[in-house]
Amino acid sequence: MPREAEPSLNEKNFVLQALQDSVRLDGRELEEYRPLALTFGDQYGVADVTLGKTRVLAKASAELTVPYADRPLDGIFNIATELSPMTSPAFEVNRPTETEVLVSRLLEKTVRRSGALDTESLCLVAGQKCWSIRVDVHVLSHDGNLIDAACFAVVAALRHFRKPDTSMEGGVLTVYTPAEREPVPLSWLHSPFCVTWSFFGEEGDIALLDATWMEEQVRSGSCTISLNKHGEICQIAKLGGVPVEAVSLLQCTNIALIKAKDLSSKLDNWLAEDAKRRDKGGLLAELSAENDRVPDM
Amino acid sequence: MPLDTSTYSLALLRVDGRRWNELRRIHAQIRTQAAADGSSYLEMGHTKVMCVVTGPSEPGPRRGGAGGTGGGGGVGAGGQSKDAEVVVNIVIAGFSSVDRKRRGRGDKRTLEMQSTLANTLAATLHTHLFPHSQINISLHVLSQDGSLLAALINAATLACVDAGIPMTDYVTACTAGSTSTYAANDEGADPLLDLNHQEEQELPGLTVATLGDSDKVVALVCESRVQISRLEGMLAVGVDGCKQVREILDQVIKAQGQKMILDGTVDKGTGLNDMDLD
Repeated sequence: MPREAEPSLNEKNFVLQALQDSVRLDGRELEEYRPLALTFGDQYGVADVTLGKTRVLAKASAELTVPYADRPLDGIFNIATELSPMTSPAFEVNRPTETEVLVSRLLEKTVRRSGALDTESLCLVAGQKCWSIRVDVHVLSHDGNLIDAACFAVVAALRHFRKPDTSMEGGVLTVYTPAEREPVPLSWLHSPFCVTWSFFGEEGDIALLDATWMEEQVRSGSCTISLNKHGEICQIAKLGGVPVEAVSLLQCTNIALIKAKDLSSKLDNWLAEDAKRRDKGGLLAELSAENDRVPDM
Repeated sequence: MPLDTSTYSLALLRVDGRRWNELRRIHAQIRTQAAADGSSYLEMGHTKVMCVVTGPSEPGPRRGGAGGTGGGGGVGAGGQSKDAEVVVNIVIAGFSSVDRKRRGRGDKRTLEMQSTLANTLAATLHTHLFPHSQINISLHVLSQDGSLLAALINAATLACVDAGIPMTDYVTACTAGSTSTYAANDEGADPLLDLNHQEEQELPGLTVATLGDSDKVVALVCESRVQISRLEGMLAVGVDGCKQVREILDQVIKAQGQKMILDGTVDKGTGLNDMDLD
C-alpha cells in the first residue's frame, strides 16, 4: 500500500514553530475557518462543499425497500463514505483505511444516532414497505478537516433532498413521479455540525480549528465535537492523542457551539437562496401536496 | 428498549442501588497469563475483560500490507518508524452480552475502539524507546455491562505495566452520565458516575480517560445527545472517577509487587529497604 508522503522535518518544525507564535501558514486566525462554499446540483439532494482546498460531494437518494425485521416501524437510513484513490494514493478501493472508518463512524454518530432524521416517518406500510435513504459521501479533494466538510455536506444534502410523494388508499400504495406531484422534503428534526479542534505541542496547549492537511500531519491530537444550534452536543470524539486539560476542552466546546451556530445560519441562507432559485414564477407552493403543519383553528 | 429509571429522584438511588458518585466494584489482577509479556484481568461490575500484551518485539509479517486492516487500530508506521507501533486487537465474545450477537472482524464500532485504545496508549507509552518494533495488545471481552471502553483502557494500562513498558503514568478511564434526558433542561439533574448497561442505554453519558493524577484528558468519547450545560458536571465527575480508579489500579500493582518480593521472584531493590512488606 502506498503511504502518504510525510512532511519533511524542516516543514514540520516550521509549522510548529510558527504555531508557537500563533501564526498559521495561510495567515488565518487560530479559530478561523477557511472560506466555505456550497453548491447544490440540478437534482435535489446533491451538495458540493468546498472548504479551502478540501472538497466533498454528498448525494442523497431514496428507494423503496422492506424494513428490517426487528424494526418494522422504522425506515432505513445509511451514510456511505468513500475515500477513493483520487483523493490520495494512500486510499484504496474496497479496503477501508482507519481514516475512512473513523470518518464514517463520526458521521453516523453525528447525523444518524443523534436522531437528526426521523426514521419513523420513512415507514410507509409497517413491516412491509419503507423508504431507504442513503447518502453517499465522496471526497473529491483532501486538504484537511474532512470531517467538518463531510458532515456539512451530508446535512446540506439531506435538507435539500426531496423524496417522491406517496399516498395510501384502500391498502394500495401509490408513489408519484415528480411530474404528478411535487416531491416532499424529509422529516428533519435538527441539524448537527461537526467542529474539529486540532491540538499541537507536547502539552496540547495550542488548539486550532479547521486544520489543513499539513497541519493535520503534524498535530499531536484532535477532538471532534458535534453540536446543533440549540446547544445540544450530539457527539464528542477525542480518540486518544495528546492529553488536554479538562477545562480547555470545555472552552473548546463553547467555541464550537458558536461555530456550529454560524455554520447553521450559513446553511439556512444557502438553502433559502436555492429554494428561491428553483421557485420560478412562485408556483412551487401551489404544486406542493404537502400539508401545512398548522393546526386548524 | 429503554427501561425506566425515573425512580431515581425518589430515593436518589440508582437501579443497582448505588448513589450518584459511587463506582461499581473493581476487581483487577495482573500477571494472569504466565507465557505473556504482560497480562491482566479486570472486572468493573459485571463488565469483564482480559488483556494480553506482547512486545515490544520485532514486527511480524504484514497482513495484506495495510497497517492493521485485519488486526485493527495501529498507530505509527511499524518497521520504518522511529517509534514503536501500538497494535490493538479487541475480541468481543459472542456470549458477552444478553443477546448473542455475531460481530464480524469489520465491525466499525470495534475498529473505532481499537483505534481509540491504540492512540490513547501511544500517547502515554514511551514508544520512542523502541524504534522499529511493535507492541501488540490483545483484549478479550468476556462480559459486557456498560463502560466497556473504560474497562478496556484500564485493563490495557495494567497489562502494559505488567509488561514493563515505560510509560508516563497510568491512563485510567471511567464513564459519567447525567440523569436528565437531552431535551429536559432541568437544572436539578445529577451527574452519575460509572454507568452500567441499563443506564448507558437510556441516559446521556460519556467515557473519559485521564493521565495519572492530573486533570488531563487523553480520551473523551460521548455518543449521546446531551445539553452543553450538562457537560461540565459530567466531565468533572468523570475525571474524579478516573482518579479513584487510578488509586485502585495502583493498589493492585503494588500488591503484586509486594507478593513478588516476598516470593523471592525479584530481588528487593536497595531503595525498598524501608518499605513495610507485612
